[in-house]
Amino acid sequence: MRAPDLAAATTTEALTTELPVGRSTGWWGMVMFVATEATLFSCLLGSYFYLRFQHGGEWPPGGIEQPKLLRPLVMTAILLPSSLPMIWAERGIRRGRRWRLRIGLAATLLLGASFLALQGTEYDELLHEFTITTNAYGSLFFVITGFHGLHVLVGLAMVSWLLAASLRGGSFGARRHDRVRNAAIYWHFVDLVWAAILFTIYLSPRL
Amino acid sequence: MSAQPGPRTRLAGGLLLWYAVLGGAIAWAVHLFVAWGVDELTCAGGSDRIGAVPLRLVVALAVVLPALATAGALLAAAFAWRRTARTRPDGIAEGALGRTRLLALVGLWSNVLFLTIIVLGGVALLVFPPCQR
Amino acid sequence: MSTTTAPAPGASQEDLARLDEHWGERPSIRSWFSTVDHKRIGRRYLVTASLFFVLAGISALAMRTQLARPESNLLSPQEYNQLFTMHGTAMIFLFSTPMLFGFGNYLVPLMIGSRDMAFPKLNALGYWVFLFAGLFMWASLPFGAAPNAGWFAYVPLTDDVNTPGLHMDVYALGLLFLGIATTAGSINFIVTALKLRAPGMSLNRVPLFVWAIVVTAFMVIFALPALNLDNAMLFLDRRFDTHFFDPDAAGNVLLWQHLFWIFGHPDVYIIVMPALGIVSAVLPAFTRRGVVGYVLVVLAIVSIAIISFGVWVHHMFATGLPHLSYSFFSAASTVITIPSGIQIFAWLATMVLGRLVVRVPLLFLIGFIVTFVLGGFTGAMFALTAFDQQVTDSYFVVAHFHYVLIGGAVFPILAAIYYWLPKITGRMYHEGLGRWAFALVFTGMQVTFFPMHLYGLFGMPRRVYTYRSEPGWDVWNLVSTIGSYVLAAGLLLVLIGVVHAIRRGRPAPPDPWGGDTLEWATDSPPKPYNFPVLPQVHSLHPTWDEASRASMGDDATADRTLTDGRRTLLTSELDGRRERVVEMPEASLQPLLLALALLVFFTALLFAWYPVALAALLAGAVTIAVWLWPPRRPEEELGVVS
Ligand code: HEM
Ligand SMILES: [Cu+2]
Repeated sequence: MRAPDLAAATTTEALTTELPVGRSTGWWGMVMFVATEATLFSCLLGSYFYLRFQHGGEWPPGGIEQPKLLRPLVMTAILLPSSLPMIWAERGIRRGRRWRLRIGLAATLLLGASFLALQGTEYDELLHEFTITTNAYGSLFFVITGFHGLHVLVGLAMVSWLLAASLRGGSFGARRHDRVRNAAIYWHFVDLVWAAILFTIYLSPRL
Repeated sequence: MSAQPGPRTRLAGGLLLWYAVLGGAIAWAVHLFVAWGVDELTCAGGSDRIGAVPLRLVVALAVVLPALATAGALLAAAFAWRRTARTRPDGIAEGALGRTRLLALVGLWSNVLFLTIIVLGGVALLVFPPCQR
Repeated sequence: MSTTTAPAPGASQEDLARLDEHWGERPSIRSWFSTVDHKRIGRRYLVTASLFFVLAGISALAMRTQLARPESNLLSPQEYNQLFTMHGTAMIFLFSTPMLFGFGNYLVPLMIGSRDMAFPKLNALGYWVFLFAGLFMWASLPFGAAPNAGWFAYVPLTDDVNTPGLHMDVYALGLLFLGIATTAGSINFIVTALKLRAPGMSLNRVPLFVWAIVVTAFMVIFALPALNLDNAMLFLDRRFDTHFFDPDAAGNVLLWQHLFWIFGHPDVYIIVMPALGIVSAVLPAFTRRGVVGYVLVVLAIVSIAIISFGVWVHHMFATGLPHLSYSFFSAASTVITIPSGIQIFAWLATMVLGRLVVRVPLLFLIGFIVTFVLGGFTGAMFALTAFDQQVTDSYFVVAHFHYVLIGGAVFPILAAIYYWLPKITGRMYHEGLGRWAFALVFTGMQVTFFPMHLYGLFGMPRRVYTYRSEPGWDVWNLVSTIGSYVLAAGLLLVLIGVVHAIRRGRPAPPDPWGGDTLEWATDSPPKPYNFPVLPQVHSLHPTWDEASRASMGDDATADRTLTDGRRTLLTSELDGRRERVVEMPEASLQPLLLALALLVFFTALLFAWYPVALAALLAGAVTIAVWLWPPRRPEEELGVVS
């Protein structure tokens, strides 16, 4: 920051600026929920690294192959951008544009569902090689990705529920969109967690 | 002086206060996580170098940088506290002023605590070789 | 002076009638199940947690009776294992935290001048889940299937080979179930305290009790996931043959310990912190002044909470860390004693500078300080590694943590019961009875647990169902057992005192103690809407300051009376500036339904009826979908353009 700005930012007026301010109770509730869920995922991914480094030897252990990269990258390319229509929909309903809400939600729904379908095909292939009971790596792999998949499913349930409510009419508008925003926060969170999982499970063994 | 600051200046001021309050805590968390994680993992791998860099240096960085960040937060907190304790411009609600002063004071003392913790960890670095068990 | 209504309400008779119409609940069976009133829910938390305390206490008495003499065979080893595990688990999870959350539930909205919690229905859900989870765990005891491997359930002892049967499945599922209640309650406390404070209550005017509850809630948010994950992995390992903790298949048993103590260390503070908040709330009334060093106490609360996350490794001396990484943690363990000390000195200074009014709540506070400081002293002895390795897993440890937990949680809770009884029931307790109860509880506590230090040092291990006669062991064990009966008698007197107050007590005035926080500025017990006129707060001690009091009386305004609907005020997060009026939800059966669905879900998981579990989950999802379904509104009100 330039010097004059710094001087201005340290006046009493600036320092007493209230930040954060004006959020709704629902917003705070969702943020706190996401915070506790994020901690849960950190512990889960932390456990992955803990077991991996304590194991010491080759990883994945027990002759399991390195996870293939192509499909997870495609899944990433589907899931991460699925936040965009959600943002577009939310901005739309803030200005009272119901059609944008409907189209945006439908697009997100489609992308999320394709992600899950791809994950299904991945499981289908991998389960021939190893399962949740093969060893700790198998347990970690399927519990981490499965738990995230469950979150995607919950997110999709939220999105379909919003879509159903918005198709009925009389639900959302420029002055009533708390639920849209809260579901959006959850959805963005689920996306971000996937990025962390991609790094942990698929990329980090290659480092 | 009484010109109302613009929204960006206000944002900067608000963020500066939060840095003063939470800077030490966050710096300490980073310090603990990085210093412990790096030390533990490298030693478990049976070496005291990371690539070409000696482990000791990396851990030292994980002590010094957070310590500097905490010291910065400490200064910011002291500054914010003096500002709000001395000046009383009108047009600021008493609640807002008192609240800022409380946060600045809490930040001041907590940064002292966190700086102490980080520095104590740094002293250990002078005493123990990084991988001694 | 001893009228039973608040002084000169600033609301007219019509206002009061309309408030009653919107907030009042006609007593009926349905309203009993559907209520969302934080005061009724808070009372239920208190009663239910006390019930679990009695069950855990009876388990303790059974253990002490068994240990009174060497080689007695009242209890089999299997029974003893289940009793000490259920005792520890219930005291930690089903009594301490829920009891303190019960006080929080009842008091936080009153102290911040609001009409309810931020999410009243979620609050009701939290209570039902807590009740069902507690019953779920206790119900296993009569069938001999209760958890039996100690309250921290170390693997590999707890895996399906070493502990077959349902025991540890009950533990893992029960705690996961309970976790839902604790998390929901914590989120509710945080949001309530951020958004529902009365106008004018900026952060520097928030009562210390509210600070303590909110900071505890933050700790729950960040600590509980570690325990939940741990229990989920344990259940998966036991039931579905995963290998998280199995060293033969690339797993690791230490993972359990790490995750458990990432939760467990902050949990000690999660238990003690709200109790310390009680101390700061009760002291002003009996010293006739505010707690000395408000800012420092806030600092202590916040910094203890943060640092407590960085010390978990000290529970695992035996795991062979490099010295250097260990010292990063021990630096934190050392420094955390500073803020703890600050709090104690702030209270002592308050007592020295104030004018002491010796009533039962103050007696319990003094009992707390003495006991807690002794516990802290023995805790400091563990910091010497050599000593720690000498006494680990001996009765010395049992003595230490009972001093900390009974001193740090039970005594403040007892003080709180006497202090807020007039507010909650509208009746005064009998002072003489209360003093006798204090004398018995305090003596009983010391006589039970002090000798444990001795026979712990003489080498008696913990968690043994009996022992051979050894010099020094027999006598002191008998003393401990006698002490535990004295303690039980004291607790019984507390119960008799409460029942007596409800049945026979004098009616309590709104403010029997001259307290400083807002709950004393309204009726005893408060009306369903808490405050006829929401206060405008001008200081840290609103009930002691004229302007704040007048805001509810002569200076009342319609925009703080809010009589058309179930309404309360939202204010800004830091400065407590007025933002807008919000509508609060009506009573509803949905929370109970959802909790029942969860109960079916967890029971079905326990007995491996997986299709039933799935059906229960779907029923739960449908309940949530209906619960949150947006109400239909006209387009103009929504603001729809196209
Ligand atoms: C009311 C009087 C109490 C008595 C007479 C009592 C007595 C006992 C006894 C005899 C044991 C078993 C020792 C062993 O065999 O190793 C025990 C363990 C324990 N108690 Fe208490 N206790 C009391 C209150 C409490 C309270 C209030 C708490 C917590 C808030 C508590 C927490 C624990 C814990 C965590 C354990 C360890 C269980 C384990 O080893 O897994 N107790 N207590
Ligand atoms: Cu600890």
